Amino acid sequence: MKFQELITSFTSQAEAMGARVIPAARPGEIGPKLVEVLRPLGSKIALVDSPLVKTAGVEAALAGAGFNVDKDGPEFARQADTGIVEFEYGIAETGTLAMDATDLKTRLAAMLPLTCVALLPAERVRANLTEVIDAYLERGPWPGYFTLVTGPSRTADIERSLTIGVHGPERLFIILVGENGGDSRGR
Amino acid sequence: MAGKEFKQRIHRALNNDSLRGALGRFADSYIVSREQVYAGRDFAALRERIAAIKSDAAGHYEELADRFTRAVEARGGKVFRAGDAAAAREYIYQVAKEHGVTDIVKSKSFASEEIHLNEFLQERGINPYETDLAEWILQLMPGERPSHMVMPAIHLPKEEVARVFSRYLGEPVEPDIKNMVRIARRELRKKFLTAGMGISGANIAVAETGTIVLCTNEGNARLTTTVPPVHVAIVGYEKLVPSIKDIVPILEALPRSGTAQPITSYVTMITGPVPAWRGEGEGIKELHVVLLDNGRTRMAADPVFKEALQCIRCASCTNVCPVFQLVSGQVYGYIYNGGIGSVLTAFFNSLEDAVDPQSLCIGCRRCAEVCPAKINIPDLVLKLRERVVTKQGLSSGYRIALHGIVAKPKLMHTLLRAASRLQGPVTHGQPLIRHLPLFFSNLTSGRSLPAIAKEPLRDRVKRLEARTGRPRLKAAFYSGCVIDFAYPEIGEAVYKVLGREGVQVTFPQGQACCGAPAVYAGDRETAVKLAKQNITALEEARADVVVTACPTCAVALKKDFPELLAGEPAWEERARALAKKVKDFTELVHELTGGQGKKVKQAKKSGSRAVKVTYHDSCHFKRHLGLDQVARQVLKEQPGVELVEMQESDRCCGFGGSYSIKYPEISAPILERKLKNITESGAEVVAADCPGCVLQLRGGLDQKGSSIKVKHTAEVLAALENLQGGGNSK
Repeated sequence: MKFQELITSFTSQAEAMGARVIPAARPGEIGPKLVEVLRPLGSKIALVDSPLVKTAGVEAALAGAGFNVDKDGPEFARQADTGIVEFEYGIAETGTLAMDATDLKTRLAAMLPLTCVALLPAERVRANLTEVIDAYLERGPWPGYFTLVTGPSRTADIERSLTIGVHGPERLFIILVGENGGDSRGR
Repeated sequence: MAGKEFKQRIHRALNNDSLRGALGRFADSYIVSREQVYAGRDFAALRERIAAIKSDAAGHYEELADRFTRAVEARGGKVFRAGDAAAAREYIYQVAKEHGVTDIVKSKSFASEEIHLNEFLQERGINPYETDLAEWILQLMPGERPSHMVMPAIHLPKEEVARVFSRYLGEPVEPDIKNMVRIARRELRKKFLTAGMGISGANIAVAETGTIVLCTNEGNARLTTTVPPVHVAIVGYEKLVPSIKDIVPILEALPRSGTAQPITSYVTMITGPVPAWRGEGEGIKELHVVLLDNGRTRMAADPVFKEALQCIRCASCTNVCPVFQLVSGQVYGYIYNGGIGSVLTAFFNSLEDAVDPQSLCIGCRRCAEVCPAKINIPDLVLKLRERVVTKQGLSSGYRIALHGIVAKPKLMHTLLRAASRLQGPVTHGQPLIRHLPLFFSNLTSGRSLPAIAKEPLRDRVKRLEARTGRPRLKAAFYSGCVIDFAYPEIGEAVYKVLGREGVQVTFPQGQACCGAPAVYAGDRETAVKLAKQNITALEEARADVVVTACPTCAVALKKDFPELLAGEPAWEERARALAKKVKDFTELVHELTGGQGKKVKQAKKSGSRAVKVTYHDSCHFKRHLGLDQVARQVLKEQPGVELVEMQESDRCCGFGGSYSIKYPEISAPILERKLKNITESGAEVVAADCPGCVLQLRGGLDQKGSSIKVKHTAEVLAALENLQGGGNSK
C-alpha cells in the first residue's frame, strides 16, 4: 500500500471506531492543536515524555496556555483530565494504535483519564498487525506490556446499547504528525 | 428424558419476554453485522488456519506448557500448573494471603468461573470484584445467571439494572444507560486503585514468548493488569499456541465472530512482570500464571473430542443457534453453553452434567457453518450423546421404540400398518390428524401430524415399477420411513419424474429405517444393526445408483454407515461402496437434465399463470449435502414455477425428528417463525427436499388454516397442475 493510502485507511478506520484524527503537518503544530482541542476538557494534564513531545515543545505550549501539566509522582494520571502519550505504530487496516507500554507512566496516562491524546508520527502507519509484530520482533525481545488501542473504551453490556467510556478513556484523539499528515482525509 | 429441574429452567426462559426479546434482537442483527465485518475476507481460509494452529497445539500441550513456563520464568514470572479446580483455587488463595490481599479486581475470565473462584475467596474473607460491566451487574444480583457467554447480562432491561445500582448505592438511580455506565466507572475505579491483586483470564497464551493476550472493549483488563501490584492470570491449556504470529488469525476472527467488530478496543499482551506502583514507589509487579488443566489434557488425548479444544470462545455458535436464542445460556446451566458448551462441560465438569445441555441441540448445523475454529459441533454433540447412552443406557421410552421396534423392521412395518387401520375413526377420514401419535410418540400442539398411509409405498411400488425397454439408468429407491408410511405420494412423484427421464426405479423390499433416529438418540447399537440390514438389501438391487428423497437418509447412507462400520472388515468396504452410489433425488434430476429442465424443452402453456413457489432449505440438505442451489436451479427450470425467496430460508423449521417430541415447547416457536417467513413470502407453495420438513411445515400450516401448500420438490416436478387448488391434505 502506498503511504497516502495507508494514511487514508488509518484515518477512516480510526474514525469509524470512534477516535478523532487530527493532522499536524509539523511537530510544531502539535502544541497549538492540543491547546485548541483540550481547552474545554479540563486543565489537568498527565504528560509522558518522548523525543517527539520534547521536540514539539508540548509541555511549554500547554503550560503557557494555562494547563496544569503533571509528569511524575505517586498520584500521576489518577486525577488528570487528559493523558498525552506517543504511540509507536498505527495499523491502517483497523485504525489501531500500537505501542510497547511497559513503562508504567505510559500505561497510566493512556488508561486512567477520560481523554487520551495519542501522538503518532504519520510515517509509522503500517498496513496490518503482522507488519507491526514483525517490527517488534526485529527490535529484540518481545515487549513486556504490548498494547493495541482502537477507538475509545466502550461497552454494550446494558441492553446492547453502545456506550463510550467505561473503564478507559471516553475520548481518543490521534494527532497524526508529519509532513504528509495532510488533512483528515490524508490528502 | 430431560431432568425436571432442567425442564423448569426451559419453561422459565421461554416465558421470560425480556430475555427472549433481547436475545432475539441481538441474534437477528448479529447475522447481518457478522456478514458485513467479514466482507471481502476469506473466512474459509481463515478458519482453516485457526483450526490447524489450535489442533496442532492440542496435540502438544505438555511441550507448549513447558516452553510457556520457561519463557515466563525467564522474565521473572511464576507459572503454576493446576491439575484441577481445587489446586488452582488453593494456589490463588495462598498468593492472596501471602500479600495480605483483601480486595481483588477481576477482568472477565471463564476459567475463574469454571473453578468457582469467587465463592472460594469470599468464604475466606477476600472480596473479588468483577469489573466487566455485565459481570459486575450480575455479581450484584445473587442468584442471577449469565445468559450469554460474551454478553452475560443481555437479558436485563435497563430498569432492572437501575434497581440493582440503587440498591448498591443506597440512593435512587435513573434507568439512563450513559449515567449508569458512569456510575460503574466511578465505583469500580475506586476498586482498581485500592485492590491488592488483579485476576485476569487469557484469550491466547503464546508459548514462544510467554505472552498472555487479553481482548476487552471496556478497558478493564488493562487496569486489572496495570494498577494492582500483583497479577494472577488463569489460563486454560487450550489457550496455548506456539508462536507470537499465531495470534494474528485468532485476533482477526475472535472479535469479528464474537461481536461483529473488526477488533476490540483494547488488545493487551503481557509478557512477564512489568513495572507497577508498589506501596511507596515504582517497582516490579508480581506475575503468576495458573495453567489450568481441569479435564483439558484428558480431552486432548481423546481422539474424538480433542477437536473441541480448538474453540476460541467467540460464542458465534450460540449467536446463530435457533434453540439458544429461545432458551439462553441460563438454561444450559454451566459456564460454557450452547452445543460447544455441552461438550466442554462433559470434560470440565462431568458427563452427567452434560446430559441435559447436549439434548438441546436440534442438529441444524448452523453453528458448524460459522465456527471460526472449524469445529464440527453438531457431530461432537452426537458423539457425546452416544457416550451418554453407553454409560447410562437409553431412557425406557427410547429403548422400547428403538431396540424393540425400529431395530426390527418387520415388526415396525406390521405395527405401522395396524396403526393405519386403527387411526381411522380419529382422523375423520382426513389424511391429517390432530393431536395423535406420529408413529409411536405423543403429539404436540401447533402442528398437525400426518395419518399413516392406508397403503405404504412399499405396497404400491409393484404398480409403479414400469419396465422400460433400455433404461438410461437403473436406480434403487431408498424411501426412508416418512415417505414409505406417511407420504407415499412423494415416492410416487419420485417414480414419475425419474421414469420421465428414462430411469428404471426399483424398491428393494428389504430396506429398513436408515437408523438416523437411533444415531440422533445416541443408540449406536441399533444404528449398526440397521446399517447392515440396509446395505444387504440395497446391494441385492444391483442398481447403478441408490436414490433417496430424504436428506437425513442420504446422510445416513453416505456418511453414517461407513463411520458406524469402520473397523468391521467384512462391512466397511461394502458401506463405502454403497455410499458412493447414493444420490439425492433432486441432485440426480439436475444431473439428468444437465441443468436444463423442461423450460427449454417445452414451451410454457400460454395463458397459464406461474405458481409462486418459495423454497425452504432443509438443514441436512443444505449443510450436509450442499445442494441448496441445485434445488433452486431445478425448480427454476420447472415450467409454470416462479421461485420467490422467503426471509431466512435456511433457518431450521424446528422438526429435528424426535426433537419436536422431546422439546415441543422449543420446536413450536421455531416453527412459528418459519411459518411467518413462509407466509410473508407471498408464495402459494413452499417446496422442500426433506420429508421431515414437509411433515413439520404441513402440520404447522394446517393448524393455521393456511392455504399455502407444502410440497416435496419431487411433487413440484411431478405434476404442476397439482400445485393449484386443494389444501394441505396431500
